[in-house]
Amino acid sequence: MAFGISVTIMFVILHLMPGDYITLYLEGIYVIAPPEVVLAYNQAYGLDRPLIDQYFSYFLGVLQGDWGYSLSYSRPVLDVISEKLVWTLVILLPATILSIIAGIAIGAYSGWRRGSKADVTLLNGMIFLRAIPSYWLALMILLVFAFYLDLFPLGGYVSLSALDTGIDLLDVMNHAALPIFTLFFFSVTGTYYLMRNSMLMTAGEDYIVTARAKGLDDMTILRQHALKNAMLPMVTRVALQCAGMLTGSIFVETIFSWPGIGMLTFEALQVRDLPLLQGILLMDTLIVIVANIGADMIYPFVDPRVEVGSDARA
Amino acid sequence: MGDALLCVRGLKVGFPTVDGVVKASNAVDLTIQAGETLALLGETGSGKTVLGMAILRLLQPNTRIEGEILYRGRDLLSLPQEEMQKIRGREIAVVLQNSGTSLNPVLRVGDQIAEAITLHRGLKGAEAEAAAVELLERVRIADPARMAREYPHRFSGGMRERALIALALACSPSFLIADEPTRGLDAVTKHEILALFSEINRGRSVLFITHDIEAAATLATRVAVMYAGEIVEIGPVDAVLSSPAHPYTRGLLESLPARGMRPIPGSAPSLIAPPSGCRFFPRCPCSVGRCETEHPGLVPVGPGHCARCMLYD
Amino acid sequence: MPGRNAALYLSLGVVLVYCAVALFAPVIAPFDPFVISGPPLAPPDAAHLLGTNDLAQDIFSRLIWGTRATLILGFLGAVVSVVMGTTVGIVAGYYGGRIDEAVMRFLDVMMTIPFFPLLLVLTIFLRPGIYVTAVIMGLLGGLGSVRIIRSQVLSLAVADFVVGTKALGARDGYIMARHILPNVLPLVGVKFVTSAQHFMLVGIGLGFLGMGDPNVVDWGQMIERASKNGGIVLGLWWWLIPPGLAVTGISLALAWFAYACEERINPRFQVMRV
Repeated sequence: MAFGISVTIMFVILHLMPGDYITLYLEGIYVIAPPEVVLAYNQAYGLDRPLIDQYFSYFLGVLQGDWGYSLSYSRPVLDVISEKLVWTLVILLPATILSIIAGIAIGAYSGWRRGSKADVTLLNGMIFLRAIPSYWLALMILLVFAFYLDLFPLGGYVSLSALDTGIDLLDVMNHAALPIFTLFFFSVTGTYYLMRNSMLMTAGEDYIVTARAKGLDDMTILRQHALKNAMLPMVTRVALQCAGMLTGSIFVETIFSWPGIGMLTFEALQVRDLPLLQGILLMDTLIVIVANIGADMIYPFVDPRVEVGSDARA
Repeated sequence: MGDALLCVRGLKVGFPTVDGVVKASNAVDLTIQAGETLALLGETGSGKTVLGMAILRLLQPNTRIEGEILYRGRDLLSLPQEEMQKIRGREIAVVLQNSGTSLNPVLRVGDQIAEAITLHRGLKGAEAEAAAVELLERVRIADPARMAREYPHRFSGGMRERALIALALACSPSFLIADEPTRGLDAVTKHEILALFSEINRGRSVLFITHDIEAAATLATRVAVMYAGEIVEIGPVDAVLSSPAHPYTRGLLESLPARGMRPIPGSAPSLIAPPSGCRFFPRCPCSVGRCETEHPGLVPVGPGHCARCMLYD
Repeated sequence: MPGRNAALYLSLGVVLVYCAVALFAPVIAPFDPFVISGPPLAPPDAAHLLGTNDLAQDIFSRLIWGTRATLILGFLGAVVSVVMGTTVGIVAGYYGGRIDEAVMRFLDVMMTIPFFPLLLVLTIFLRPGIYVTAVIMGLLGGLGSVRIIRSQVLSLAVADFVVGTKALGARDGYIMARHILPNVLPLVGVKFVTSAQHFMLVGIGLGFLGMGDPNVVDWGQMIERASKNGGIVLGLWWWLIPPGLAVTGISLALAWFAYACEERINPRFQVMRV
């Protein structure tokens, strides 16, 4: 449903724009595109048909998995994207999981010990880390760990030797390490902030006083009483952060030459392959929607106040 | 009356804020005997809750606390944290105000009670669970075995209050602090809770914090009246409520619906910069000249009955 | 906590220094950022403080001029974003009902489209200059502000002083401008600073991906040029590092400034039940 509306909005946005993507693409190839080439392209991509026709065929096409035809790859967009999606997930999933775990753990501790030395140090460190642009961070990590220290490969996803020996899991992991590390740093600060704030709110709740009045020690209260409550709002917030992760992956993949959707985005930008870019945008949207639906589905299971099966959130 | 169980001496509590230090408690002296119920009366903001929380050391870490709180001869304020944790819940328990938010929403009620039992009585698993059900039954929650497995949002206001009382009783504490346990309850539920308290009171010291004079009259053996962070009158319940000595206490009683509903003129003073003399002076109908400058002490006005007023000096 | 004010003034000072550099770029920069000023890829010396790039342009001068683009992207974008966010947020939150419903549904859908990829697609189409880029970022990024401001206004709209003023017969426009706006202003201020920081990073990110305005010097395009044309492989730190440090510097200053402001507005000082 939401996806359908998003598709529509995207179609509207793209067709409200001055010029069309054929003209844009051909500009990259010809100085002045020959009219017959333009005509051929327009016919091939159905741009000579009425707008409403285009909309319906586009909409139905999207639903049926026909996301258009990449100009630069000369292959269906969905094929290209799904091939790259796997590689993106290889770095995105570990980075996300690690940053959620670390962000929640550190954020919870920091918020619980609000104002302590540990909290102030962590908070300042995170503000600092967060202010560094992701592309700059990625470049510096590449420069230090791969170029100067030579601990990891400079880029790519497998060594050249893979041509002879086939893809080796360890080799891929070695290549994935720095991108994952960078993405992790990029997203852990957000999770930390959200968790710390959430914990600050929770720490002031009456039931925390009740727990202290029982005679429980500080860390037990944190674990048994505060953590779960503070984590509840995180379920939806982490899902919202996923758009940011996709953005981060564009830079990280480009800099580390990691062959995922992010680098595909960069390539599509360079050659102005709009059908492909549009497909990527759709895929990104789909990922965000899936993450949100996932969060909505998980929520009732972690918050007893929401009955499973009802969507009322008390 | 037995020996002093708890003795508060010269307790001063201040909260640092951006505007200055809020002096929520100013040199409070209070003694609670074993087995007695002392009602602490006062308006919202008079420092009643602060006193109760100070005894359990549950105030925020940046709070400034001076004075002594002796429990069975030991000063609670200077106890190490671990020692204090052993006293909380086992020796001194509290029924917090705001029963609606004082139970953890994501834990089952039975588990929250069982947690205290496990901690202080060493019972584990099913035994602790059974003890929790027993406690819920004792505070008259219907179908306690089932309700123990429910989350707090399934409980009504009165039931949450009962559950909190059950939690406080979990380890049979010798001293119970009840902070406005009848607040926000309808008349019927309120009377049921008060009846429950008069049962619990037996053989146990209780500090009953309330602004409800009627509730104080029903339960207490003695009454202390607080105003702007000070105890202005203290004495046996009959003496204080039938022949109040302090103008503020009189004002409180006259503001009751049954006695004409005349409110005290003016409003409570700022606790950041309280009046230098008597704190009630700006609102007092019987003030004399020196009330403005001299701070009155607590003076005896009858057997076991003291008031902080120039009229008796 | 000590040092809070120091952080506030220090970060504000850094931001002002950047503004001054942007303003006086023609005076400070020794060379025109586009002209050939000496041999290409020269290391730093007295004339070229940071050496020259592969086109023999003076890197230091480009760095100075690049400040302008960064500040325009950040602050213009933030103005657009905050004005839109505040206006729409106040109207939606104040009137509630259908208007609010419509705005929120629209936001729900728009929020599922990731900001940066959408920006990329729009950039490809429109090929905007930095001013248009800033406005587009502001409009897209302002959607988030709408939501935040609206939820504040929602509670203000039923606050006693607003209901009271309404009872006196005040017009809606008057109430929104005189009673609601001042109450959300602190929040708007913080949002302005964080938006400016965000848009600077995003705008420079665009440059880094080769989507920058070719007619202006911006740090993103400088990093892109350096990393593509041998800055990394040849280890030419004076080419690669300074623009990145410059972005990080202003970004840090704004982040600190926003944080210090937030602490001031919202000092979660909870005086416990008295």
